[in-house]
Amino acid sequence: MKEVVRMFPITAHEHLAPKVHRMTVKAPVVAEKARPGQFVIVIVDEKGERVPFTISGWDTAAGTVEFVYIEVGKTTRQLAALKAGDELAHFVGPLGIAAQVDYFGHVVAVASGYGISALVPILRAYREMGNSITSILQAPDRERLFGREELEAVSDRLILAVGERGEEMATSATRPLRKLLGNHPREPLHRVVVMGSICLMRVISELTRPHAIKTVVHLTPLMVDGTGMCGACRLSIKGANRFACVHGPEFDGHEVDGWDVLMARRCTYADTSVHQQGFQCRGCSQW
Amino acid sequence: MSASDKAGTGLDEPGDKKPKINLNRVEMPKQSPGERKHNFEEVATGYTVEMAMEEARRCIQCKKRNCQQGCPVNIDIPDFIRSLQQGDVESASRILKSKTSLPGICGRVCPQELQCEHACSLNKKGAPIAIGRLERFIADWERMEGAVSTPEIAPSTGKCVAVVGTGPSGLTVASDLAIRGHRVTMFEALHVAGGVLMYGIPEFRLPKEIVQREVQYVASLGVDIRLDTVIGINYSLDELLNTKYHAVYLATGAGLPQFLRVPGENLNMIYSANEFLTRTNLMKAYLYPEYATPVKMGKRVAVIGGGNVAMDSARCAVRLGARDVYIIYRRTRQEMPARFEEVENAEEEGIHFHFLCSPTGFISDGRNNVAAMELIRMQLGEPDASGRRRPVPIPGSEYVLDVDTVVVSLGTSPNPLLASTTPDLETSRRGTVIVGEGGRTSKARVWAGGDIVSGGATVISAMGEGRLAASSMHAFLSDSKR
Repeated sequence: MKEVVRMFPITAHEHLAPKVHRMTVKAPVVAEKARPGQFVIVIVDEKGERVPFTISGWDTAAGTVEFVYIEVGKTTRQLAALKAGDELAHFVGPLGIAAQVDYFGHVVAVASGYGISALVPILRAYREMGNSITSILQAPDRERLFGREELEAVSDRLILAVGERGEEMATSATRPLRKLLGNHPREPLHRVVVMGSICLMRVISELTRPHAIKTVVHLTPLMVDGTGMCGACRLSIKGANRFACVHGPEFDGHEVDGWDVLMARRCTYADTSVHQQGFQCRGCSQW
Repeated sequence: MSASDKAGTGLDEPGDKKPKINLNRVEMPKQSPGERKHNFEEVATGYTVEMAMEEARRCIQCKKRNCQQGCPVNIDIPDFIRSLQQGDVESASRILKSKTSLPGICGRVCPQELQCEHACSLNKKGAPIAIGRLERFIADWERMEGAVSTPEIAPSTGKCVAVVGTGPSGLTVASDLAIRGHRVTMFEALHVAGGVLMYGIPEFRLPKEIVQREVQYVASLGVDIRLDTVIGINYSLDELLNTKYHAVYLATGAGLPQFLRVPGENLNMIYSANEFLTRTNLMKAYLYPEYATPVKMGKRVAVIGGGNVAMDSARCAVRLGARDVYIIYRRTRQEMPARFEEVENAEEEGIHFHFLCSPTGFISDGRNNVAAMELIRMQLGEPDASGRRRPVPIPGSEYVLDVDTVVVSLGTSPNPLLASTTPDLETSRRGTVIVGEGGRTSKARVWAGGDIVSGGATVISAMGEGRLAASSMHAFLSDSKR
């Protein structure tokens, strides 16, 4: 009988901040083709769900792929309990279309949560094309600030947007961005890239819209198969249905219509799969 | 049981010495509707040995093998029935498996009423032989006995074949070519093999254990199955052809769901049938939280469409605890593409059918969840390209139906992933791969079959195309051996 089930060993597992971890997985076939902005689907065990994670790095020679995740629900808590040497049942990728990389000029990157690490490969590729990069790193407080060094290493300038406890999270990165926009076009912004919560991506897209600065967002609606089969991740782009898994996950933030619906869809299963204490997201249907 | 209940009075003519032919088939036991509405176990529980023998004895062993000709994979039906008549299930199984590697699947999901059973001589006078039920009986018998016979495998030819997709078509090609001595590798994008047999057709119609047994049987012929591997991403088609593979068979199916394109279609709790069924079947949401994937559903569920997938979705909804389930279909019962048997099962389970109406929009509850759908009544006009009368909206006939969950089952189209990464593969406007005789595509050394070619058909037709392609591929591989 031939080998039917293949396992994917975890080669490293680091704790980055409270509830934030980086997992490195041996998956040579995935590492071989990985490009910035793509994602993988992970299944922890044979009874597990398929969960997408944007990749934050890979090593083709070593055959490893890494991603950063935040413990929010059942599967991510299960992941957090695994150690280097344990195995994941399934690991598929790299899925989705890679981020568009070109020479743009001055790029402002806004990152929070998993997006801090997942943006790094994209920014590195931007830099290789000669772009100058200003990064805004958003974190709710000092304790949960992570990824500063890795983001600094791929940016010309790093701005920290660390809110105080209790402060409204979604708006904190907007303050430094507003300042930058105030100097535009004297000190021009040629492109803005945002990776973080849907709320943050929406708010940033609305801020840049009046300035007509191309703003790309990396959308992460719910997915099941991640290969274009189920349509769970469909969203409306300029009036047409697109699937984040095969047409994205990178989209023009100004072309996304129906952010409300997108946010509501994102939270469809929040009550069954998100057990994070105090998880709150204003303005969407489920909470 | 409709067709099967066609009671006859006998073929016996005065003075005829032959034993009287029983024109009624042996009924297959089924779970009662009241019972099966609450579980995902198989609806039909299968023949016992006695029932199978009794049914087999009805076969008159015609000289002209109409039934065999009616079978897309040309199973030697009269021969396996004769073995059954003689009480030799083992040899019946061998005969069956010389033409199909998936008898447990075919016996359950083939539309036999349109194929072998339709062609059966008895069908003119009474109920045809229940060929599908006998096929299923033999497959289940072999599985229960645990004595799985494998055919003789030809000596290795040294040729390597890649089969992309592990659905019914891919499995057929893989087993046919493995038996002929070729080295076959199958690639599957999902985490289990079986394609639509796993993600689409529900447990109560086709138990997943049976699918996995038959997948394992194909693997036991020496076929290597690589899961979690997406062709078009992990390897391009050209990479396969330029490395070790002498030929490639594309059987990636029609996985891309179609939507209605009406306002409000992206509201919460509106699913494609693919998502609803994938969650329920492949990810086993009906066993949540033992299995980690949930499926959220309300109490009033509308399923839009009239095919087998729509019936499957509606019947899953019943089992998941919906109070009211509606099938919304824009034509009438007569034009419904679903199998009669499945429509009947759905009706028995209390599903309401709304014919001649079509959704024009979905209404939000104010929190982006679907709360109702707006429909317009239709009437049948002139026949369209499919030969069915085209539904035409009746102006001013709009009405609202309160629903809290919607499943859109309007068919699928081929996933463009592979074609988009293979520019020299000729495809139609609908995205299907264009093939010539024997399933050959426009690209050298590449064959295709199943739903990626047809755009969406049956399990058995996908297997039939696989059978023809495997012969064509074998001829090519043998020829180039020189």
